[in-house]
Amino acid sequence: MRDPRPAWASGAKGQIPQGLDGLWARGLGVIAALRLTRNRLLRHTKCVLALEQRYNSMTDARLRQEIEDLRVAFRLGRDTYEDWYKAFAILREVAWRQIGQLPYPVQVMGGWAIASGAVAEMATGEGKTLTATMPATIAGWRGRGCHIVTVNDYLARRDAEWMEPIYRFCGLQVGYIEQGMGPADRRAAYAADITYCTNKEVCADFLRDRLLLASKGGQPSWLEALLGGKGSDGRLVQRGLYQAIVDEADSVLIDEAVTPLIISSDTGDSQQVEAFRQAADLVCSLSKGLHYQVDMEQQDVELTDEGIWRLQELTAGWGGIWRIGRCRNELAVKALLAKEIYGRDKQYIVDQDKVVIVDDFTGRLMPDRQWRDGLHQAVEAKERLEVTAPKETLARISFQRFFRLYRSLAGMTGTAREAVGEFWLIYGLPVAVIPPNRPCIRQYWPDVVLTTEQAKWAWIVREIAKLNKIGRPVLVGTRTIRSSEFLSNLLAKEGIRCQVLNAIRHKEEAQIVSAAGQLGQVTIATNMAGRGTDIKLGRGVPDLGGLHVIAAERNESGRIDRQLFGRCARQGDPGSCQAIISLEDELFVRYASRLSSFVKLRYGPTDRNIASPLTSTLVALAQSTAQRRAYRLRKAVIRMDHWLDEQLSFAAEYL
Amino acid sequence: MPLERPTFHEAWYRVADLKARLSTMVRVSRQTYRGQVWYVLENVSSNEYFRLNRGAYWFVALLDGRRTVAQAWELCNQRLADEAPTQGEAIQILGMLYANGLLYAEVPPDTQVLFKRYKQRISRQVQGTLMSLLYLKVPLLDPDPILERWTPIVGRLFTPLGLVAWLILVSIGLWTAVGEMAELVASSREVLSFPNLPLLYLAVVVAKVIHEFSHAFACKWFGRANPSGGQVHSMGVMFLVFVPVPYVDTSSAWVFRNRWHRAVVGMAGVLAELAIASTAAVTWVHLSPGVFKAVCYNLMFVASASTILFNGNPLLRFDAYYVLSDLLEIPNLGQRANAYLGYLVRRYLWAIRPIESVAYSASEAVWLIFYGISSFVYRVYIFIRIILFMNSRLPQGLWFIIPVMAASGLAGWVLVPAGRFIKYLLTSGELAKRRAWAIVSSLSMICAILVLIGLVRVSDPWPIDGIIEPNRQAVVYTLADGFVQEYLPSGLDVQPTEGVIVRAVNPQLESQKGQLYAQLRRLQVQRQIAQTEEVALVQILDEQIQAVEEQIQRVETDLANLELRPPVPGTWISPDIDKIRGLYLQRGQQIGQVASLDDLVVRATAGQDVAAMIVQQADRTVQIRPRGYPQYLLEGNLAQIWPAGLTSLPSAAMGMRAGGKIPVRPDDPNGIVAAERVFQVLIEPVGQWPQVLRPGHRVVVRIYMRPKPLIARWWTRALQVFQKRFQI
Repeated sequence: MRDPRPAWASGAKGQIPQGLDGLWARGLGVIAALRLTRNRLLRHTKCVLALEQRYNSMTDARLRQEIEDLRVAFRLGRDTYEDWYKAFAILREVAWRQIGQLPYPVQVMGGWAIASGAVAEMATGEGKTLTATMPATIAGWRGRGCHIVTVNDYLARRDAEWMEPIYRFCGLQVGYIEQGMGPADRRAAYAADITYCTNKEVCADFLRDRLLLASKGGQPSWLEALLGGKGSDGRLVQRGLYQAIVDEADSVLIDEAVTPLIISSDTGDSQQVEAFRQAADLVCSLSKGLHYQVDMEQQDVELTDEGIWRLQELTAGWGGIWRIGRCRNELAVKALLAKEIYGRDKQYIVDQDKVVIVDDFTGRLMPDRQWRDGLHQAVEAKERLEVTAPKETLARISFQRFFRLYRSLAGMTGTAREAVGEFWLIYGLPVAVIPPNRPCIRQYWPDVVLTTEQAKWAWIVREIAKLNKIGRPVLVGTRTIRSSEFLSNLLAKEGIRCQVLNAIRHKEEAQIVSAAGQLGQVTIATNMAGRGTDIKLGRGVPDLGGLHVIAAERNESGRIDRQLFGRCARQGDPGSCQAIISLEDELFVRYASRLSSFVKLRYGPTDRNIASPLTSTLVALAQSTAQRRAYRLRKAVIRMDHWLDEQLSFAAEYL
Repeated sequence: MPLERPTFHEAWYRVADLKARLSTMVRVSRQTYRGQVWYVLENVSSNEYFRLNRGAYWFVALLDGRRTVAQAWELCNQRLADEAPTQGEAIQILGMLYANGLLYAEVPPDTQVLFKRYKQRISRQVQGTLMSLLYLKVPLLDPDPILERWTPIVGRLFTPLGLVAWLILVSIGLWTAVGEMAELVASSREVLSFPNLPLLYLAVVVAKVIHEFSHAFACKWFGRANPSGGQVHSMGVMFLVFVPVPYVDTSSAWVFRNRWHRAVVGMAGVLAELAIASTAAVTWVHLSPGVFKAVCYNLMFVASASTILFNGNPLLRFDAYYVLSDLLEIPNLGQRANAYLGYLVRRYLWAIRPIESVAYSASEAVWLIFYGISSFVYRVYIFIRIILFMNSRLPQGLWFIIPVMAASGLAGWVLVPAGRFIKYLLTSGELAKRRAWAIVSSLSMICAILVLIGLVRVSDPWPIDGIIEPNRQAVVYTLADGFVQEYLPSGLDVQPTEGVIVRAVNPQLESQKGQLYAQLRRLQVQRQIAQTEEVALVQILDEQIQAVEEQIQRVETDLANLELRPPVPGTWISPDIDKIRGLYLQRGQQIGQVASLDDLVVRATAGQDVAAMIVQQADRTVQIRPRGYPQYLLEGNLAQIWPAGLTSLPSAAMGMRAGGKIPVRPDDPNGIVAAERVFQVLIEPVGQWPQVLRPGHRVVVRIYMRPKPLIARWWTRALQVFQKRFQI
């Protein structure tokens, strides 16, 4: 029933096809997508709905009997379309009986697409959690486990507990993985038929298992089992990667795809630690322009010949690592990067004398992450904090690579169509666009474009004050923690109370976000704070026009803009959204500096709204540049991985 | 990170704890190239070679199976500082060594990758074979035993004495060939004709067999002084442009210590071929026409042409290239030269940083630049020449080879590199910061070239053959019969008003004149009588008188015509005049010409292809270059074009039979009737011409067509090549 993914997109070693092969592969993608057109999915859904009558009169016991029969068919891999229709129909009935929700036809469509191994694009608030239960149950029946990958621990737990009755009725066990769980609990959770987990946890567990296997001589586990080795088997927590359903597939599989997950240990190299401190002092005596050049667009620092020379002069007579010219320059460049590019409260914050990375994309704190190759140490040295010893990598894998290891993969997200090509070429996933249950009546207010940052914030505050006066709830999306705090200060001066979301605890975040729809509420959130949580409108709010979303900056991808806007006007509610941006936003500075400075020159210093076709072009240009650059980077990562595999084929197949 | 060689590598953890060592199959030799120390690792079992620099070799040498890779790397860093390989480089070195079976590590082999690599290797081989079907090699036998037996004897050729003998032989050959140059060139017309092809192929095989064996013997001979022994174990057939020719694998010579030994092994084939060519030349001269003579000619043609144009020329990647590369101590000279030119552009035009120079020293850089440019120019030149040569010599039936060759050349040298370049421009990571500038500069370069060849009009000279003729010229015929009595010697200037060229006498006419006058007188007397006596008779007599007077008139004219006067002013030319003294010449016989030797014109012929252009767009002023007098560059004006299309040439010298360019009809014994209609163009000189130029002298007339872009010019010429070929 389910088509296997194309060879190039499965397994860690598949190569992304290029040239003519690439064209051919794209062609295959078009054909694969044809199987999942709206009409086809509707046809299947009709067949499912036709069975509704048959099951809604059955007793629970009789239903269980039916389920048992189906389960056998799926387990044996002899399922037919007929079985699928029955399975979906029964699952609707079970959902209705167990949690009181009857999946809508569009949810059946989505479930069908996921079960066929595709990415289902469903608007936010369409009930993706419930949708996922249907393909997950089918996967559970197959008996090889199914990982439902969510974006945070809170959601994993919430969804698992919420949907558990359905699975239990279907004879399946559910587990979830949470940060801080012990190996025994994890093992139990992975052993369940369906496991709710986050991408980070599942990937980290995979790496830890691999390390364990590596210490046993690098034999694949099946070989180990054949040889009768019991030692590692007892300590492994996972039982293999068979199927994954990835929630928010675009952010997990694309935006975060190249972030490697690293398991490391401390090296305790004190000599290097000292060197970082020296470097931080050293670069203070270098002058910008003469000794080094800063490229904000590429986020890069370059030593000039003059600078290299000066360094040599300054460190003459120093011992250790300073004697090696290459290392000396490297240390200096790291220190300069820390000084010039990496800004406090922008790329990182200092929390309890520790540097904590702020995720560029989500604006979220990443307390357990470190920059690589000494950059982290350089930043610590710059902040005069205790320099931690560089960590030694033990194992590492990028999410991209990790998810390609799954035998079958599916996903769901609110925004996928912008990334159809990438989903197909890298993961072999076609995209199925599922229509909303009720037509969307979101109003897109035209963009407001201002020349300066200052004018932008003033405008946003005015806008919020206006809406707040009539009691309409407002959600403002910012990109960085710094700007969200800045805005909250401004609002406080105006006497407007607001909620700021940039914390780490997902559960509270979710609660605040879900309250964002109440009357008179003003919420400031970094981009993805509280994703996956519904914003329900408070009483009287729909009459005022529903939730209004303000994007304080355009994001690097239109996809993420859409995610933010998708927070209002869910499920047929009223709602509106608007982007209020300035030419000084980072997006323009980084990706369209020339055109934006031209536009700035054209309009001069003004507080007027300068939105025009020209500024729309500017946004489109900057976003497409950013997208292209990011895609190229992701492809480069895959290629780099392959190159390493070729080079290191002798070293460690087990990563 | 903008670092040229980042110290750390993210995948280092995968190799750090590995305990590896070099395989026992490795033999290491230390070599110095241009003052740099390199270590050449030889895989004895597979006959493959790898070159490591000092840092890399140190690192590899520290791997003894007990230290971990990380420890070895640390040690290296402590000792060598900057010279030590970075983590990334170390990974690369290990990967390369392992992939080629030179590294032994105690890990279970990754079977999946092994199989994948095997598959890749096979598919790469298949690809390589398909791509280089032009150079397919099929090994057939192991020639070592035969060589072993004969080397002691044949090898003596590679001694100083052998060199002297070779020099003598080649000098004789060269002497002979220069002496017979004209005939050699003339015979080359037939080289690619159908009947000759089997002989040509035979010559190729003979020459190549000797060529290859010469390599093999040299390798064995010099191998005696080297520990590797100069093994030669592979011999077979190579399909050079689908034509099977023999080859021998003498790669074991690469590890000879003495580089002059390596050079001689590399050049042995060329030396042998030159010897063959010389021998064949000497034999060819002394043979009477026949099959054997033809064989000799072909042998000489193959051995010399292939040597001068290909094998002996280091600008193409054949024998001499490898020798040059070795002697210069610049391995991969060709690739590195191209890479270096690319590096120059990337570094200085596009200012890409970080970038590492391809050249290790300044002198090497000079060589690379020089070689890169000259080899490219030569390659393009020789390719076009070969195509043109084949176009003019190949029989109609084999003509299809030419478009195939041209297309493959176009694909290989233009389309593929262009595609690669575009891809590089659009996707290369190193261009990230400079992409816009790189694209703009490349585009403007291309635009500049396009404008240059597509828009800028340049003068378009067409050379056509011509012959010098006097402007005025009259043939002198005898006008009456008579005995030559007096004449002017040839070469004198004459004017029509004065002087007699030839004076003849005719006694018969004289006496006839006397008779007629007597008769006239008689008739006049009779008439006087009749006037008085018989009036009726007068009328009859009048008629008779008139008739006689007419006769007298005719005889008088004939007599006057016995004195021949020049019809036009000019020089009296009659080389054989001395032979007519006292002869009786009949009326209408040609005895010489009068021509204006100081008033010359050029009569040129043009094929139909050019004539239309001359009529439509030629500039009136033309340039004239007399053949054999390169010092003169004369000017002329187009005076007249006879567009009617004649088949007779102004002179046999312009026909192909006499060395001209215009094909003549094979059935015309004089070689003066053109095979196709030709146009005649008359050119008047401007200014005074040098005295040495006489009528009959051949010249090349350059007619300047309307200035047009180069592309239009190339297009017309290409069309004409086609038209000629297909007689359109």
